[in-house]
Amino acid sequence: MKRKDFGALIIVPVLSIIISFLIGCIIIAALGASPAEALRYLWKGAFGNIRNLGTTFSRSTPLIFTTLCACFAYRCGVFNLGGEGQFLIGSILACYIATKSPLTGVPAMLLCALAGAAGGGLWAAAAGLLKIWRGQNEMIITIMLNYVATLLMGVVYTNWLRDGSVPQTIAVPDETKLPSFLGLRATIAFPVAILVGIAVFYFLFSTSGGFQLRAVGLNMTAAKVNGFNVKRYIMMSFIVSGAIAGLGGALELLGTQLRLINGFGAGYGFDGVAMALIASLHPIAGIVVAIFFAALRVGSTTMQTATGVPTSVSDIIQALVIVFTVAGMAMVKLPEFKNRFLRKAGMEG
Amino acid sequence: MGTFLANLILAGVRMASPLIFLSLAELYSQRAGLVNIGIEGIAAIGSLTGFLVSLITGSPLLGVLAGAAAGILVNMIFAYATVTLCAEQIVYGMAINIFAPALAAFIYRVYFGSGSELVQAGLMGTFKNMLGIKSNHFLVNLFLDQTPMVYLAFILVIVTAVYFTRTKSGLNYKAVGEYPKAAATLGINVIGIKYLSCVICGALAGIGGAYLTTCYSRTYVDGNIAGRGFIALAAVIFGRWNPGGVLIACLFFGFCDALQIRLQLINNTLPYQFFQMIPYVATIVVLAIIGAKKAGPKSSGQPYRKEER
Amino acid sequence: MAVDKAADQILRMEHITKQFGSVYANRNITFDVRAGEVHTLLGENGAGKSTLMNVLFGLYQPTAGDIYVRGQKVKIESPAQAVKLGIGMVHQHFMLVEAMTVFENIILGDTRSAGIFIDRNARRKEILELSQKYGLDVDLDLPVTELAVGAQQRVEILKALYRGCDVLVLDEPTAALTDVEVEGLFEIMNKLRSEGKSIIFISHKMREVLRVSDRITILRAGETVVTVDIGELTGEDLATMMIGRQLVRSQYTKAESKEEIVAVLDHVSYHKNSKHNGLNDVSVNIRRGEIVGIAGVDGNGQSQLAMLLTGNIAPDEGSMELKNSKVAVFDPNAFIQENVAHIPEDRNKSGLVGNMSVADNLVLKITKDKRFSDGNGFHLKKKAIRSYALEMKEKYDIRCSSVDQEARNLSGGNQQKVILARELEAAPDLLIAVHPTRGLDIGATRFIHDTVIAQRDIGAGVLLISADFDEILEVSDRILVMFEGKIMGEYSGKNPPIDEISLAMAGK
Repeated sequence: MKRKDFGALIIVPVLSIIISFLIGCIIIAALGASPAEALRYLWKGAFGNIRNLGTTFSRSTPLIFTTLCACFAYRCGVFNLGGEGQFLIGSILACYIATKSPLTGVPAMLLCALAGAAGGGLWAAAAGLLKIWRGQNEMIITIMLNYVATLLMGVVYTNWLRDGSVPQTIAVPDETKLPSFLGLRATIAFPVAILVGIAVFYFLFSTSGGFQLRAVGLNMTAAKVNGFNVKRYIMMSFIVSGAIAGLGGALELLGTQLRLINGFGAGYGFDGVAMALIASLHPIAGIVVAIFFAALRVGSTTMQTATGVPTSVSDIIQALVIVFTVAGMAMVKLPEFKNRFLRKAGMEG
Repeated sequence: MGTFLANLILAGVRMASPLIFLSLAELYSQRAGLVNIGIEGIAAIGSLTGFLVSLITGSPLLGVLAGAAAGILVNMIFAYATVTLCAEQIVYGMAINIFAPALAAFIYRVYFGSGSELVQAGLMGTFKNMLGIKSNHFLVNLFLDQTPMVYLAFILVIVTAVYFTRTKSGLNYKAVGEYPKAAATLGINVIGIKYLSCVICGALAGIGGAYLTTCYSRTYVDGNIAGRGFIALAAVIFGRWNPGGVLIACLFFGFCDALQIRLQLINNTLPYQFFQMIPYVATIVVLAIIGAKKAGPKSSGQPYRKEER
Repeated sequence: MAVDKAADQILRMEHITKQFGSVYANRNITFDVRAGEVHTLLGENGAGKSTLMNVLFGLYQPTAGDIYVRGQKVKIESPAQAVKLGIGMVHQHFMLVEAMTVFENIILGDTRSAGIFIDRNARRKEILELSQKYGLDVDLDLPVTELAVGAQQRVEILKALYRGCDVLVLDEPTAALTDVEVEGLFEIMNKLRSEGKSIIFISHKMREVLRVSDRITILRAGETVVTVDIGELTGEDLATMMIGRQLVRSQYTKAESKEEIVAVLDHVSYHKNSKHNGLNDVSVNIRRGEIVGIAGVDGNGQSQLAMLLTGNIAPDEGSMELKNSKVAVFDPNAFIQENVAHIPEDRNKSGLVGNMSVADNLVLKITKDKRFSDGNGFHLKKKAIRSYALEMKEKYDIRCSSVDQEARNLSGGNQQKVILARELEAAPDLLIAVHPTRGLDIGATRFIHDTVIAQRDIGAGVLLISADFDEILEVSDRILVMFEGKIMGEYSGKNPPIDEISLAMAGK
């Protein structure tokens, strides 16, 4: 039973990826380019050499954080769609500390990370409070808070921390930049992201708290009747998922972007949701999916330069993966499908 | 009447119109038991299609129709996944929200190439222009200086209200959202109505998106829906799933939007982004105030399976 | 097999088989209905009665077999088609749209008249005529939620008649009715019969069946056992045919506990004015070593009583004592810490986390226990959990392919055993069991009764809530009757006065 389900969890996304790539190839061919050529450059751009691999890791880092944010919240049944807002709040706080506080170097980095996590957690907690006290739908609230956070960041880079005439903030000083990871283009934010992923995995599956949190997510009524403090877990899932996203925002600013600017972090929240769903809310699988998506993005730039196929083809492929995966997951759960498929495979019972 | 207030009301009505289309789209969907959070994405594809067709044909009206068609097409994916495959509606709505804007952006890039200059299409004319009226009286502007789409929005609200309260078909439609199993035992085609609801929802969401590029702004930019699809979700809750209530909610959010634009124009001390936050903050505040009295269709969000033991 | 008495035979189902996956719900069932008769389908829970009727009504498609209506072979693919053929059905769980009025519920899906709009006056007139003809009075303008169960049932019958049915299926119509309401229903059934309508009456209550049926078809484990004329059958005959062996009324020894009182409710009220979902001045005490049975028709405050006794709700008035100390905080966890066990009303909704494994469900409340984790829950001992689960699987006879199987895929009886294992393993001081055997077959029911009795005998106080009167009579040491949130009376479990209790259940 378990093995079979596990199989579906792997097979469905892999099949979805294959189909999406096939459609992508058709599009590329329709645009007059050679699909094989384009895919070759896509691969080369993402993994072709150490430098590109580093770029892929670097691009994947913020995605890993928002993916983990979504995984954690959804495991508790909380539809936190506000990963982007929480990410931005984290980066805004980090930006202030890095550029305005007297601290530099490692203490500044630590404080930035801490403040980023706290800020993201608090930003999500606002939505959590509204859900718990007013019974409000967290999806709409968290999305609205994304827009508010984006606009707030706008205030920061056009006004409060503006760098002269350009609409961007002053840059993080060199001493406070995150060090490189193994000399790659990725910074130590990448291993930190993976460590956070492992921590989330450990918490969810190897502790009593994670066990109870998952139970709340799967059946809130039963959790309540069986004596779990449901409200506490819901609030906790908001705060922790927000903190993960906020930490991601802070590290992205210190490691890669160095300035807040129009478009910073845009779309990362929803991307994280998509990746978490493709990974069936499994944190480690989520990391893999995030790296895969980042590779697509990094590789597509090379592909565009070399073959003229626009990078948005890779966006389409990514979007198709999620569309197919979610539909596929639903399909394998249908009783009709189960009956037909299993009888054929002779695995019934 | 002060010009500020007059302009506010005029702009409010215009800003409310796309919201009305989007909210009615959501209302039709939820009344059939389908919570569709993907209308933001559907509106994006409607918006792009509307813009392109209007640009190519020179007819904003054709643009709107094409927007509706594109909306239906995309929403059929949602329909198949949630009705036939019983995928989780919220999750699939998110998938649509990622897929549809990516598709829109892709088509735009392919059509115009990257880095091309801004292309602008014509806007739909207002009745005032068509009739050649010169008066600038407030009432003339309120009732005549509007595109046909604004009238359509308000007419649709009335039609929807009549449909759900006075017609046999409307009663059956509501029963599907409330208790599909009971509806099925009465010979109502549950699956059919759910698909129908997706057609209506897709069309209206597409029109709502197309409104923005045929009646409001001359061009398409990524992200131009700017959360209106999500605000529409809030408007449906705020309006207690009734067309009249939804209208009031849309007018309220429309006025918030108009207010922030007006305030931006007359203020130059505060950063303009603070005013832009108004509609979003208003949405949160409204939801917080009304709380979560369960008033929506009972089966909303749940899959319907024909043979379930 | 019944012989063709062609003329008056209105409906015939021949060799019907319905499979769900590998499970046969119906197997080769043949059954017919004559005009103007009450034909009863009798069988235990899970015998396949409802499935057969859902096939007849077009909700399920038969895997094999044919249906004939008035001699014509038909294929019923949807309820709409069944309605066209003159078949109406009142489902066990009413198919009423709560957000609508009685009137709207009756005209829903109406196709008899052309036109887009609802012609309220014409429709009203038709409905009122029908309701007068058959004595089905209801207020058309009330929302259905404001009707009592009996009235809701009348709406359902009206719905079917309004669609012009000749054959009316009543699926367990008496399950949720008081005795008085049952009498009313029987009157309506007689009236329908005298007007030439046929009724398929589904029940497992033998007393009723003997009173109203013309013919009886008995189903057992998805197959037809026999069709008989009512003649001089007795309840014992029927029971034998239904269960396939002589019904042994297990006589559990009834206890008369003198042990300490474990829980006391003192003049407790909760949402006092709600007749169906409240408690009104309830006083109960439960001693160790006894089973207190709460009898009553569903929806008279029993759910609230159970929620209160497990800390899920707090009373508006009155107080509660648990093991001689007053309860200050009503919180499920506090009650669990006081060693109160709970077999909840709806095992899928509030008993189990269906998407978690059997093993996880068994340790649901005790993951912080030293046996199952280190450091107060910091590290789960998965091996220990698994071996504990295997042990429980043996001890409670939980039939599953593996303890890693998701709990939702178990049969109802096995799900209930998982809950039983979880709740009883800690040897509770107080056990609140709500409808513990609802929907289960005789074997599982027996197992659960035995287990609960054993728990009583080692000193637990048990409160048993059940809408199944026979179950209450069988295992309770003391019987309390609830009606509209009040306790109507208390009776000894030894030789209980059945008639008196029945009256009390109807509020008399």
